[in-house]
Amino acid sequence: MSGMNPTNIAEMAGQRWVGKVRVRLDAARSRCELECENGALVDVCAWLNKERNYSYAGLIVEENPSQWELRHVFYGTRPAGWVHLLAHQPLDRSTFPSISSQVHAADWHEREAEDLFGLSFEGHPRLGDFVLHNDRWQENLGPMRRHFDGSKPVTRREPDLNWQPRRIVEAPGAFLMPIGPKFSGVTESVHFLLESVGEEVIRAIPRLFYKYRAVEKMAEGRSVNDALLLAERFAASTAFAHALAFCQAVEDISGIEVPARARALRVLLAELERLRHHAGAIQEICESTALVVANNQAAMLEEELLRLSGAFMGHRYLFGLAVPGGLSRTFEDAACREAVQQAQSILKRLDQLEKMLTTSSSFLDRLEEVGIISEQDAHNYGLVGPVARASGVTRDLRKAQPDSGYDAFAFDVAREQEGDGYARLRVLFAEARQSVRLMEQTVAALPIGPVLAANVKIKAGAALGWVEAPRGATFHWLRIDDTGRVARYRVITPSFANWHGFHLAVEKFAFQDFPIILATFDLSVAENDR
Amino acid sequence: MSQWVRKGLATGIKTTRYPACEEKAPGVSPGLPVGGEYPEAQARSLVDLCPTGALTLADHQVVVDYRRCVHCFRCRYDATAPIRWQEGYEWAAASTDGRHPTRPLDRPFEHSIHILVVDAGDCGACLNEVRQLNNPYYNMHRLGFFITPTPREADVLLVVGPVTDHMRVPLQKAYDAMPTPKRVIAVGACALSGSVFGPSFVCGSGVRDLLPVDVEVPGQPPPPLAILHGLLVAVGRRPSASLVSPANSLNAEAAKAL
Amino acid sequence: MNLSLLLQMFFWLCVAGVVLTMLIPERWCPKALAWFGSAASVAVLWSSGRVLLTGDAFQVLLWSLPTLGTFTLSLDRLSALFLAVTALVFLPVSIFSAGYLKRYLSHYSLRAFNVWYLALFASIVLILLAGDVLLFLLAWEAMSILSYLLVNFEHREETHTGAGYLMLAMGEAGTLAAAFALLLLAVTAGGLEFSALKTAIQSPGNGLRWAVFLLSFFGFGVKAGSVPFNAWLPRAHPVAPGNVSALLSGVILNLGLYGIARVNMDLLPMTLTGPGLVALIVGTVSAFVGILYATTENDLKVMLAHSSIENIGIITAGLGAGFVFTAAGHPILATIAFVAALYHMTNHSIYKALLFLGAATVDAKVGTRDLDLLGGLIRRMPWTALCFLAGALSISALPPFNGFVSEWLTLQTMLRSAELSSVGVKVVFALCGAGLALTAALAVTCFVKAFAMGFLGISRSTQVEQTTEAARSMTLPMGLLAALCLLLGVLPTFVISTLDGVLAPLTQASALNALVPPFFTSSPAHAQLPGEFAAEFHDLGAQVGQQVVPGQGLVVMHRGGAQNPVVFAMSTSYMFPVLLGLLGTTFIVVRFGLARHRCVVRQPRWDGGIRRLLPEMTYTATGFSNPVRVIFDAILRPTTKDTRETVAEHFRAAIRRCRQEVHIVDRYVVTPLRYGALKIANGLATMHHGRLNAYAAYVILTLIVVFLLTLTLSPLQ
Repeated sequence: MSGMNPTNIAEMAGQRWVGKVRVRLDAARSRCELECENGALVDVCAWLNKERNYSYAGLIVEENPSQWELRHVFYGTRPAGWVHLLAHQPLDRSTFPSISSQVHAADWHEREAEDLFGLSFEGHPRLGDFVLHNDRWQENLGPMRRHFDGSKPVTRREPDLNWQPRRIVEAPGAFLMPIGPKFSGVTESVHFLLESVGEEVIRAIPRLFYKYRAVEKMAEGRSVNDALLLAERFAASTAFAHALAFCQAVEDISGIEVPARARALRVLLAELERLRHHAGAIQEICESTALVVANNQAAMLEEELLRLSGAFMGHRYLFGLAVPGGLSRTFEDAACREAVQQAQSILKRLDQLEKMLTTSSSFLDRLEEVGIISEQDAHNYGLVGPVARASGVTRDLRKAQPDSGYDAFAFDVAREQEGDGYARLRVLFAEARQSVRLMEQTVAALPIGPVLAANVKIKAGAALGWVEAPRGATFHWLRIDDTGRVARYRVITPSFANWHGFHLAVEKFAFQDFPIILATFDLSVAENDR
Repeated sequence: MSQWVRKGLATGIKTTRYPACEEKAPGVSPGLPVGGEYPEAQARSLVDLCPTGALTLADHQVVVDYRRCVHCFRCRYDATAPIRWQEGYEWAAASTDGRHPTRPLDRPFEHSIHILVVDAGDCGACLNEVRQLNNPYYNMHRLGFFITPTPREADVLLVVGPVTDHMRVPLQKAYDAMPTPKRVIAVGACALSGSVFGPSFVCGSGVRDLLPVDVEVPGQPPPPLAILHGLLVAVGRRPSASLVSPANSLNAEAAKAL
Repeated sequence: MNLSLLLQMFFWLCVAGVVLTMLIPERWCPKALAWFGSAASVAVLWSSGRVLLTGDAFQVLLWSLPTLGTFTLSLDRLSALFLAVTALVFLPVSIFSAGYLKRYLSHYSLRAFNVWYLALFASIVLILLAGDVLLFLLAWEAMSILSYLLVNFEHREETHTGAGYLMLAMGEAGTLAAAFALLLLAVTAGGLEFSALKTAIQSPGNGLRWAVFLLSFFGFGVKAGSVPFNAWLPRAHPVAPGNVSALLSGVILNLGLYGIARVNMDLLPMTLTGPGLVALIVGTVSAFVGILYATTENDLKVMLAHSSIENIGIITAGLGAGFVFTAAGHPILATIAFVAALYHMTNHSIYKALLFLGAATVDAKVGTRDLDLLGGLIRRMPWTALCFLAGALSISALPPFNGFVSEWLTLQTMLRSAELSSVGVKVVFALCGAGLALTAALAVTCFVKAFAMGFLGISRSTQVEQTTEAARSMTLPMGLLAALCLLLGVLPTFVISTLDGVLAPLTQASALNALVPPFFTSSPAHAQLPGEFAAEFHDLGAQVGQQVVPGQGLVVMHRGGAQNPVVFAMSTSYMFPVLLGLLGTTFIVVRFGLARHRCVVRQPRWDGGIRRLLPEMTYTATGFSNPVRVIFDAILRPTTKDTRETVAEHFRAAIRRCRQEVHIVDRYVVTPLRYGALKIANGLATMHHGRLNAYAAYVILTLIVVFLLTLTLSPLQ
């Protein structure tokens, strides 16, 4: 909204909820913190999200020595900045109001907080059995609490052996079609239950967190460099983006200025990763529709991009490159130009593939008007990334909050309106083109200089790092203590937001469309489960 | 329809000739550090740099345990005196506590096996590399390797990921459902040692905790050619490599026991 | 034992059974029924078997009534066939009743059941033995009423009485029409005995022929369950006790067919093509509608009821084809068509009785018939499952069971229409043949669903988990019927020759040599076969097995002429031992040869690795048949209503789906008829306004009209 910035927000909030809201402004970071009383929390969130058009990033729960601190993070398009809504409760009273009825994107965040911290959210009708499956763990384990030692296995277990999935469909002959956790050929482990009376899926329930590795807990107590390894590796298909977000959080806390060459190279690497990721997503869509030649063509392009990454940058998935303060190694200008040239030729073939796909009616038949998500639903569920852009929701962190160097370059944000599988495919192709455009711009004017800031010293503090990863908006919240170790690490991934809305696309379509809709959503279970 | 046929024919043959001859294209492998004799100061600094304990010091030698290497490249780029580096990809090793050290699977399976891939909590990179095995560059079908979705027809269980707690039951069920003879290949540093994630209250330290492993493929992630090498080792068509460098170091036995 | 003695024994057994029932305590009644019923069935079987095999006809004149003629009993081969089928069904059902009826002890009167059962048997036999119109109609009425009483046995249930009453009412309407047909014939012929009717009708006009056909076809068709008068069948079957359902489908539906056959094949043989085509089309439509509703139905007995409609449709279509061939002057083809139809009728009685007894067993032991609640019964009730499987394989027309033979014969007969001359008739045959093929495919779907959802998989309710195998008195009769299914399938040549003996006198042509040529046992110079015919088979190599292959095991449908001597042949007699041999050899080789030292490990089913596979995670019968529902949506025309409940605006609490369906026949025939009838009644009701003066005027008006009629019509007499 024009004229909306954190200062205005702070003023308006202060006026509307007099006495219930305390304001703290940080103009340098374009951020305002509103500390709300529990009674006003839901209203303020609803006002921010619905009236002021701020997107909901996520919920960060921290267990301080004396109180719980809940942080709801909202962001808008620059200059609207960031709004953090804080709620506090003493440690023995762990009930907070649920904002999910107003800001439905918070639904899964609250469920996760309940499961991992033992908090309860009043007004949320679906708490329990989210991250820790009830048929393996007892309730109220609270693994994210400070006193819980995450390195040791839990010996006393009281699982609910009679756990059953909740049935919602009441129709004669309705049954649950189970898929997974091991299904198909090479897929991630996730369990679906499709409630149906036959052909049409009436309700889809994904049961995630089969791959829960407690990354947030593991990071606590580790040095920043070791935690960086975790950040890079928990969802390695977009490793560089996550590492970048982590590094940006560290740089924000420690006040490290990243050199210009590093900023430009970071953009180059991030866009290379985006291009490779999108080629892989296109390959999966072609594979799901069983269009074999297109599948192989797209697979070849993905392999070439992987080899490109490996040959020029050392690792096929760009491991070990992003470090706090810049990059771990430098690259010659000539090498970068060569890499971009190869990317350009790959893009040419990708464009050819797109042209051929748009003329294959049997392929389009399976994508068009299948797996539709309306713009309203995309807003309500807080969907991000190419999936949201295909439904008309175009907030892209590279344009909305371009702190990592994107403001120096020109590019367009893809946008489609239909919200079906074909729209998502078109968005992937459009973004691939924009990625190469960005890569060309970076090498055209690579600044000279170091790639690592001199004298990187880790300080204590807390900050949010964000990145527009290939799948959407990613946020890493980091709190470093005085000894330079991680005190709290919170990862909010785009797959977490999009898995939440996935069931909308699948319902009312037939079983046979399910794998195709899944492929067009391009979700990562590892990224969601952490 | 014919546009696809023309496109396919025009693309030509891209498949690698491995294992008939070595694949030298750039970018097919990130390589691995090489252990051996190093000056003491360098050796000590390298060992200190390694975040997962893959590098250890033994008798003036830097011993690399590939099971723990997570490809952070600190010993290569962060060190003032970097470690030596090998650019190969034949990294898979047949486990000595498996059935048969040189030929895990019997002769009838030499040219045709069906593989069941189970994701036990991997990050997505190992799984993506396994997926690349079917692309025209590697085309594992020409070697007789096929991926099957059901364990009833599988000969080999390929596991990626550190075996999270929630996946223990499904993984065990998949293994039990396979008919004998069956072998297990653990792919990736997570599956071999839990890498940076385990062991923890929800995560194991590799497939060894749950199932008997016959072939181990290190790397994070191992490139497709390394996974292919692992499959070839499983059927006895390629010799096994060592998970420790240098291979015949005195502490190799101790390292293997880790 | 001569025939008259056997038949008398039968009737005395029935009487004795009734008398004894009155004397013994109620808890012995089922056993008594079993004994007397089986003995009576044996008597009937013996007598009808004798007539079928030896051809002795039997005629007895009973009492004479003034002006109404004499009551005649006559047993010719057609009646003998139907009697044999009746006895073959009554025998196992009687034995089954011994165990099954125990559940009614102290709820309903078992004495009444015995009396009605035996009386029903007697009335059915009397219908089939009746040699004159009056005895026929009297016995028919008795049968209608007794079957109503048996169907409505659990009379305290609301729905039961309604269903029974519908059956009775529609049955009476049909009887009326059929009676009209018979009386038309009697009026034309001047007498009431069937023998008199046959000989006395000299050259009836087309109008009479059409009238007799339509009245008898649709009149008896109500009893047989043809569309559009089948509304009573799916309602009567589920309410009747299990053994009565078996009788209903296995015996009583056949009586309708008997009526059609007797009138249109024996009393007034067909000379017009039109009626045959009507029968063919009605049969095909019946078959298709029947199986469509069976496939989408979840209650076992309702599904089997719809399947009966389907099978009766196939039989009717076969009869129709035969009528067309008779009219077109191809008597051998007509015989083949009738053989196919009557073979299918026999088979249907056997396997439908088997399936109904199976459903009754499941209902009695588990307590529910809903396929969505059953599952896994094969572990609890293995013998029932095995017999049900035999029935399901038979009804799906899979070799080497009997359903395969009759279905094969019917479909091949449709193909023989190529020998007719009229293009229109050939088109109708082609369409009907395609329709019957579609019903055969749907029948397989339906019974895969029934067996798989009911007996295989995981139990879907606790009732199933606690059930046990039924008593031997219930499984033995099912086993008997299953064995009969196999026997009738593996020995088609004997059945065909018997049926040929039944039909040859009616169509004046024998199809035995066409269907079961004795070429294996004949040399090329055999006098029985025409020279070119035998020569063709010789060229095909038929003489190869001459000394080696025994018997006449091959059923042949020879087609084409000299230019195109195409032959279709089928032999379940040879297939069966070969199949057994192959399976046995493989088993022995693998078990004692290849896998002798292997140990077999049992692991639970692979379910994708989920921790617990719940019964609600398996396909239900509704889900299995949903594709059929979707494809034929235009015919089924369901109305669905979805309601959604949400909590806190975004969280869904419940999604409800209500689905309602009205049967297509109800929609297009019954509802308009009812609407029309009500309209007429309402119109007539305007006359009932209670004013005496108007009523007096009605009386005078009627008198005047009657006077005028007699005055104008009397000179014509």
